[in-house]
Amino acid sequence: MAKILFINPVVREEDVPRHIPYGIALLAAIAMKEGHLVQVYDANAHRLPLDTIIEVCQADDWDAICIGGLTTTYNYIKKACKLIKESAPNAQLIAGGGFLTSMPHEIFEWIPEIDVGCIGESFVTFPEVLKKIDNKDVNYSDVLGVIHRDLTGKSFLTNIRPNIKDLDTLPWPAWHLFPLDIYFANSSNLFSEESFTSKRRMDINGSFGCGLTCKYCWHLGTTGDMLVEENDNGENDVVFTYGRNIRYHSADYIVSMVKHLHNEYDIDFAAFIDENLMTMDVASKGTWLKELCKKWIEAGLQPTCRQQGIPHDENCKGVHWNGTSHAGLHRPETLKLMYEAGCTHLVYGLESFDPTVLRNLGKGSNARKNKQSIATCLASGIKPIPNIIIGFPEESFESVRNTIEALVELGITAKPHFATAYPGSEWYYAYKDSIMEQYNQDLEAYIMDLGDASKITATISHEFSPMQLLGLQQIVYLKDLRLLDLSEQHWAPVQEKLTPVIQPKMSFNLKTVKEAGPLAS
Amino acid sequence: MSDILKGNFTPKKQVTKPDDTIDDDSIESKFKKAALNSIGGSMVYVERTDLTWDGEE
Repeated sequence: MAKILFINPVVREEDVPRHIPYGIALLAAIAMKEGHLVQVYDANAHRLPLDTIIEVCQADDWDAICIGGLTTTYNYIKKACKLIKESAPNAQLIAGGGFLTSMPHEIFEWIPEIDVGCIGESFVTFPEVLKKIDNKDVNYSDVLGVIHRDLTGKSFLTNIRPNIKDLDTLPWPAWHLFPLDIYFANSSNLFSEESFTSKRRMDINGSFGCGLTCKYCWHLGTTGDMLVEENDNGENDVVFTYGRNIRYHSADYIVSMVKHLHNEYDIDFAAFIDENLMTMDVASKGTWLKELCKKWIEAGLQPTCRQQGIPHDENCKGVHWNGTSHAGLHRPETLKLMYEAGCTHLVYGLESFDPTVLRNLGKGSNARKNKQSIATCLASGIKPIPNIIIGFPEESFESVRNTIEALVELGITAKPHFATAYPGSEWYYAYKDSIMEQYNQDLEAYIMDLGDASKITATISHEFSPMQLLGLQQIVYLKDLRLLDLSEQHWAPVQEKLTPVIQPKMSFNLKTVKEAGPLAS
Repeated sequence: MSDILKGNFTPKKQVTKPDDTIDDDSIESKFKKAALNSIGGSMVYVERTDLTWDGEE
């Protein structure tokens, strides 16, 4: 059996480690189930010097060293891969995750140390790659869903790997391979009183994907949104679509997993990292969340404060939880059940309160629903956490004004994120040329600059420059309509005479059609 | 026993935590982080490590 090392890269260096990497923990569990020997080095949790990787790589004779994550881990992964190849040249270096799937050929060019990469969903692809390595066969051309190299280093993408049909066939993630104490020490967050007082929070995932087509969002093959087709050069490349293979775990799977986490690790909080609980509930015709809440309570996971109708305090037992919602898809009766089962807060990607912005976003919401959602959620007892963005392509003084007025009306204080075109999103392909212009044609520099959208990287606003967006962010934060009016008086006449800051274009890598990738039979 | 590596077997060599803690744990680093989070008004932060002025006009 292969001897495998997983490395979890550092992410969000400015913050403490908060999330056990769900994907790596799941792949580690799958590898162990297949009989492989597995070790995990969690660089994000330990935050040790980068060259600790050398010692880790020399700790054994690894057959494979695996690394992966979102695009925001790219900086670390690039540096790590160099050290990995230098210190363990005989190990196959396997990469995976969003950073690779969004732009496989570019990543293979920028990180020549990677031997093979798993593209899209890797639950079947990854063990097949390990089996190859176990058999000393490093010709990956017959494995679906991988990018690999020829002897000259040129990259090749094989045909697409179908998504698995039944998520419940997946094992539970191998949480025990991660330094849980470090994560538990950072359990507390500022979204609700219950989450603020959490001592032992862990993430869980109930579903893959979302039925919506928000232009800033990306799924990277995990929702059936990806195809592999020949590009203009006759080479296989990834193409992203509006296609969906909606899949979610059964309520029994989720509840038994949380029960296990409660019994084994004494967790007091479970954070659903699902993209959008409500779109999954819609896909189940409104049955999934209701069943989940019912079984949560039956399993004895309901917090005592909710059971007894008393304020939450340090004596509360049970497991509180949170997730994501949608202004147009939540239902009061479902929210009420969720509250009773222990839901404390729901993140709503409201993004804006401007009709034009929302109409063009693909969000399936509007200003009226966005406004109503706050009251509806609050009425259930659950705290809404609205996310706000500025710098949309069609952002204007009027759209910013609409957002500020709604924030004033609803009593929301938000320092908005900046609209950011992450690789794999519709925005990224539409504005790639403009992004490269803003980074002196160095696309890798842009990728290295990407964080959590709390700073401006490349602007995709047609009208506003970075200078104006920085000012508008502060004005939205302060909800200061006077400053907005003054800014508009000064800038609006000027902007009428300027050419747009950027312009969109069509891209091979994006098809705005509902054409889903294959699903395993 | 080191807990830097965790897995389902015992590796040949143990990985030990470096004696020198990384910069992020130093008082200087903690101070810098706290200071940068408080920038505004008369609160400023001067980088001491990246000073390039050599005293010449």
